[in-house]
Amino acid sequence: MVLELLDVPGQLMDALNPIGRLGANIVAVIHQRDVKTERGTVPVQITIEGDKDTLNEVLNLIEKTGIEIIEVDGILRKEKITTILVGNIVDQDLKDTVNLLNKIEGVMVADLDLKMSDHPEKSTSRIVIEAEQGRKKEVLTKIKDIGNLKGFLVINEI
Amino acid sequence: MKICLMGFGSVGQGVARVFQMKRDEIKQEYGLDLELVAALDRSGAAINPEGLDLKLLLETKKLTGKVSKYPEYGEEGVSGLEVLDKVEYDCLIEVTPTNIEDGEPALSHILKAMGDGKDVVTSNKGPLALKFSELARAARDNGVKFKYEASVGGAMPIINFAHETLSGCKIESIYGILNGTTNYILSRMAKEGSSYEQTLNEAQEMGIAETDPTQDVEGEDAACKVVILANSILKMDVTYADVEVKGISQITPESISLAKKEGYLIKLIGEVSPDSLEVSPRLVKEGSPFAVEGTLNVATLKTDLADEVTVVGKGAGSIETASAILSDVISIWKTK
Ligand SMILES: NC(=O)c1ccc[n+]([C@@H]2O[C@H](COP(=O)([O-])OP(=O)(O)OC[C@H]3O[C@@H](n4cnc5c(N)ncnc54)[C@H](OP(=O)(O)O)[C@@H]3O)[C@@H](O)[C@H]2O)c1
Repeated sequence: MVLELLDVPGQLMDALNPIGRLGANIVAVIHQRDVKTERGTVPVQITIEGDKDTLNEVLNLIEKTGIEIIEVDGILRKEKITTILVGNIVDQDLKDTVNLLNKIEGVMVADLDLKMSDHPEKSTSRIVIEAEQGRKKEVLTKIKDIGNLKGFLVINEI
Repeated sequence: MKICLMGFGSVGQGVARVFQMKRDEIKQEYGLDLELVAALDRSGAAINPEGLDLKLLLETKKLTGKVSKYPEYGEEGVSGLEVLDKVEYDCLIEVTPTNIEDGEPALSHILKAMGDGKDVVTSNKGPLALKFSELARAARDNGVKFKYEASVGGAMPIINFAHETLSGCKIESIYGILNGTTNYILSRMAKEGSSYEQTLNEAQEMGIAETDPTQDVEGEDAACKVVILANSILKMDVTYADVEVKGISQITPESISLAKKEGYLIKLIGEVSPDSLEVSPRLVKEGSPFAVEGTLNVATLKTDLADEVTVVGKGAGSIETASAILSDVISIWKTK
């Protein structure tokens, strides 16, 4: 799996601790300090061995310490983000919104719903987005910008 | 302790009632004798240096609508500042209406009392949301106590709770439902599938929403509380203009039902964090601490040591709000 660490020495210990404690084996730890993500974090690749339940527990514990897990078994981890827009929304707005969101790297609009109301200025749309771990804030900010630009009320997750 | 009560509306009368109910108990337990020497409303004042009769004061207000009609000791037309000048007191309880344009008349009342070396307890959000740092400085410079627990969340403990119970922790952020009226409206809309307008009307008929509901439904009241929490608990130096505010008047039944399909509720949430001061409708998970109904308030404090701590309580109400004021008065007494 690949983790994202802010400060390697401190956070690496936090990440490795639960692994040992739960009885999984650490096979390899690879990191290049000079490789940084755009968020200023350092990706660290850790290979561990153990049964499936233990490995799941390890993932849970690591996430609880606030460390971002970005990839497991070669698959990027995704999180689901739901947002609701209210306003005078027409098809073109939805297309624009989807396009703008899909332009963000690692972000994809997964589901879309539009409910027209009797008052056209009060249509409602629900957008479900899949984003790579750690992108949530960026996505929520982007949606807010779009809402402000188009005059929609944005109801984001907390 | 001689007390001057500025404002005799819902909260002011609650204070009088709570004093009435608890006076003996508090005297026994803390050795504190609560003596109300002046009470004011827009008509003037009732002033008695030996202490007002609370029952008579409440009755007079109920019958005539004016504290200045208080037998023998009533004074019509005197202003708050005049009374603060001529009455001898230890602590001002400021409970006049919240004004978020200029904080008056409360701001002048509070600064005057502090300047005269008096302690101040208030539930009034206006002066705090507009001039927090100035008030904190005035209290410090004059060596007086300044407490305002009731200004955020009514009876829900949060300010003293953060400062005292969680004093070992750094509070990193606060998310909360800080307005009971909007929580009531949104909860009803979610239950009944009713429209915003219809539900607001119903809330007004029940006396939960005011005739002019703007401060509540447009998020202004919650925004004041965000400012107070940011200054007081997160030690930010911010004011009302720094908060991004969106209310609930655009919320539709369709948006609530679409949210429900994904397991979410819509709540008006105040967010206090170093990179965002915001009041806006947000999606919260059903079954989460924010899924409280009715007029309840709730706040989750994210701390460095204790992780998340959540408090829930009645955000308004005459007696409930007065209870927070009473606690502030007692805690000032304990430091003497
Ligand atoms: N109600 C709650 O549950 C609650 C909860 C938390 C915080 N608060 C805050 O507590 C404060 C009081 O709320 P409330 O509900 O009690 O308001 P309220 O019922 O409107 O009462 C306000 C009182 O202030 C008096 N007043 C107005 N201008 C005055 C002046 N210049 N000098 C002296 N008295 C003056 C009014 O006089 P008249 O009686 O003659 O009109 C009235 O008695 C507000 O700042 C509010 O935001 C209220």
